[in-house]
Amino acid sequence: MLLDYDRLGWLKVVLLAFTTLVAAFLLLPVVFIVLLSFGSSRWLAFPPPGWTLKWYQELFADPSWIEAALTSARIATMTAILAVAIGLLASFALVRGQFGGREILRGLLLTPMVLPVVVFAIAIYAFFLRLGLGGTTVGFVVAHTVLALPFAIIPIATALEGFDKSIEDAAIVCGASPLQAKFRITLPSIRIGIFSAAIFSFLASWDEVVVAIFMASPTLQTLPVKIWGSLRSDLTPVIAAASSLLVALTLALMIVTALLRRKLQT
Amino acid sequence: MSVEAQQGIATPRIPAGLGGLLPALMLIGLFFVVPVLALLLRSVTDPAPGLQNYAALLGDGTYARVFFNTFLVAAVVTIVTVLVAFPVAWMLAIMPPALASILFGIIILSMWTNLLTRTYAWMVLLQRTGVINRALMGAGIIDQPLPLINNLTGVTIGMVYIMLPFMILPLVGTLRAIDPMTLRAAALCGASPLAAFRRILLPLSLPGIAAGGLMVFVMSLGYFVTPALLGGTSNMMLAEMIAQMIQSLLNWGLGSAAAFVLLVVTMALYALQLRLVGARRTTGGA
Repeated sequence: MLLDYDRLGWLKVVLLAFTTLVAAFLLLPVVFIVLLSFGSSRWLAFPPPGWTLKWYQELFADPSWIEAALTSARIATMTAILAVAIGLLASFALVRGQFGGREILRGLLLTPMVLPVVVFAIAIYAFFLRLGLGGTTVGFVVAHTVLALPFAIIPIATALEGFDKSIEDAAIVCGASPLQAKFRITLPSIRIGIFSAAIFSFLASWDEVVVAIFMASPTLQTLPVKIWGSLRSDLTPVIAAASSLLVALTLALMIVTALLRRKLQT
Repeated sequence: MSVEAQQGIATPRIPAGLGGLLPALMLIGLFFVVPVLALLLRSVTDPAPGLQNYAALLGDGTYARVFFNTFLVAAVVTIVTVLVAFPVAWMLAIMPPALASILFGIIILSMWTNLLTRTYAWMVLLQRTGVINRALMGAGIIDQPLPLINNLTGVTIGMVYIMLPFMILPLVGTLRAIDPMTLRAAALCGASPLAAFRRILLPLSLPGIAAGGLMVFVMSLGYFVTPALLGGTSNMMLAEMIAQMIQSLLNWGLGSAAAFVLLVVTMALYALQLRLVGARRTTGGA
């Protein structure tokens, strides 16, 4: 009976109450930060004595926040494009290739996801110092693409595994060139995987803190580095305003993902 | 699709299909494998060739405490995460779809929200004059603010918050794969709910708990941001110590040796986790 929702009895009440508590726990920081960003207290008193938009004004009046956000957007976009392109090619080889050691190669390409980021961060930091790539956009994009690649490969490879290759072969039999068949049959069929890969690799770069802390220079800062620096000096409500905008972005991404999924699946 | 089925259709393409892997392998080889190996090399050559960095690391009480703390925090976080995640995953697996999708939405929102944003929120919530202390004092439960931040409590709350989705989501899959009939049968045969839980539900979900728990443990071991912001100086974790050795102390030899220790431990546990998941897949597929 334990797996029948309607026949759990009193246990259902207990479990549902607990689940509600956990859901509240998960929502608490997100809701709290948004409310805080509109509160008028510089010392983050809560509930706030009054409501204001001044932290948002302060945020937009400070060019360093805007610049950091634009830098992050630029690096994350380039990372997503590179990771999806490289990941797409790699996924085709991993899923369809006929060579020994495929599992080992797949494991190797996914390793950046499991290795503690701090280890990779100091390794690539030292390496780029030697190559003169430290603190450059190229350096950021390359390092973030390494970290994002697993998040691109997993959804694309999964989608490709679920795609019946005989449809692509049928197109070739009907006269399409192999490349045409790939572009007009296969890629559209796995577009949900490609789309997820783009979102995940964008977020992998956009939210990345550790490598960015090491790589950042006074002239090139991503948004997480800017937030990190502010957090270490004081807990100003401007961070809450910036954070709330990030929450809004997350919500927008979730809605777009849900809508696109629904549209693409039909 | 079997290999024979694929070979049966003769489409002209590069025989091995290895070409597509070249860009990925070049990227990972040049900018991941080489830098990590160079770091490893540095740990035995900087400042002089030899194993003195490792000797210093393993022989010193201060470092031993950091190692101990790292494992302690990771273990506490894993245990709390498993205990909290299990009932939630259980409900998610069986609740009506409409309710489940709201809950999934909340989980994804928390998971996708910027890591620093979430940590900042906990810093403000948990501080001495923060909402939680004020609420507890206002309710008369305590009369002194509790030290909730810059200690083990703060790190545990912040880390459990981050790890919960990584435990809940895979566990839902495990629980959904269990046939409800087995539990109905147990009830019919007179098993009490407790007995059914202990002898059927728990053992059947154990592979999922073990695999998810191990993943949370591995992720916690190497975590940097949350411990650095919510933890105290007296319970520093390994990742923070590595960052400090490199960034503030510029001690590359010691820092890279510590990084290599973290790498070896993580990879060993990851290999174990892969075997657990692999074992679950083969038994689940049979």
